[in-house]
Amino acid sequence: MRYKSGYDFSYKLSVGHVAWILHRLSGLALVFYLGLHIWVISHLNAGPESFNKVMNFLNSPLFKVLEIGLWGVILYHVLNGIRLLLIDFAGGARYHKQLFWVAFLLVLILTVLGAIPFLHHLHILGGK
Amino acid sequence: MKKTLEIFRYNPEKDEKPYFKTYEVEVYEGMTLLDALNHIRWEQDGTLTYRRSCRSAICGSCAMKINGKTYLACKTQMMDIKSDHVKVEPLPGYEVIKDLVVDMDNFFDKLKRVKPYHITHTPPPEKERLQSPEDFHYINEAADCILCGACVSACPSAWADKEYLGPAALLKAYKFCADTRDEGADERLAIVNDRNGVWRCHYTANCMDACPKDIKITDFIARLRNMLVQDKL
Ligand code: FES
Repeated sequence: MRYKSGYDFSYKLSVGHVAWILHRLSGLALVFYLGLHIWVISHLNAGPESFNKVMNFLNSPLFKVLEIGLWGVILYHVLNGIRLLLIDFAGGARYHKQLFWVAFLLVLILTVLGAIPFLHHLHILGGK
Repeated sequence: MKKTLEIFRYNPEKDEKPYFKTYEVEVYEGMTLLDALNHIRWEQDGTLTYRRSCRSAICGSCAMKINGKTYLACKTQMMDIKSDHVKVEPLPGYEVIKDLVVDMDNFFDKLKRVKPYHITHTPPPEKERLQSPEDFHYINEAADCILCGACVSACPSAWADKEYLGPAALLKAYKFCADTRDEGADERLAIVNDRNGVWRCHYTANCMDACPKDIKITDFIARLRNMLVQDKL
């Protein structure tokens, strides 16, 4: 038998490769979230009481923090998606690394900005 | 200054499993990795097997995995390699014939699938089919490919999908589709318009990093997609 290597996990990671892995992971996370979201909403079928019960549960600080994460994941998927569109239609492949870092920086900034109202809600940053 | 080379060794007739063997080489300014391999083969271990021919980055024989990335051995300066330790492996994604020599049949089969030759339907002119310098501009960069296989070997899509045409064949398809003398773009576009064709590229762009001719392959795959989309509009 001749030796054959398959998916090469030892290959040095590049910016584009990491961007792709993150895009896939964030996509999967969003699919998972969507399922969860539909499940939560479906409690409306069973009347206001059951819905209020899940909502109460989801109002715990843990889920608030997770929601900040969700916001970051959405941002990454959207902004990297725009990067991919630029590669598709605007010759962005030639600048794809710079585009990734721009997207990444925007994700960081917008995640932090978006986290502020969440944290207010949690009384971490003050507020009522 | 000495550098150690950790080289992938495998002789299917003798070895049950591949292994790595370490050699020490005295390096000097201007020495390429290919020079180092030659040194080992000529002075230390005559059984080391690898491909090379031109030693000047034009024949495309000596592509291999060097410290985790695919590139040409003859275009890699030993002094430019930051670490004192150089790990040399055969191109990933191909069957190993012996040591650093891989079976490239699959690579060339895929290349043939995209019809890498001029297709014409109009009667030939009296002399030759001429091309203006402006029109040559469209294919200049894409025509630089030396078929070394480093791009396909660097591509995660190609590792995962054995049927994927891969960056080299797609680049070739673009080169002929964009050539103003060629009249076979429709035929060729129909071939690359496939889940194992142009749509299997996920823009990891490893191919561009690996390309020793610095061809922006990913951009040409995107342009092929644009040709397909514009066809539909
Ligand atoms: S020996 Fe020809 S490309 Fe390296």
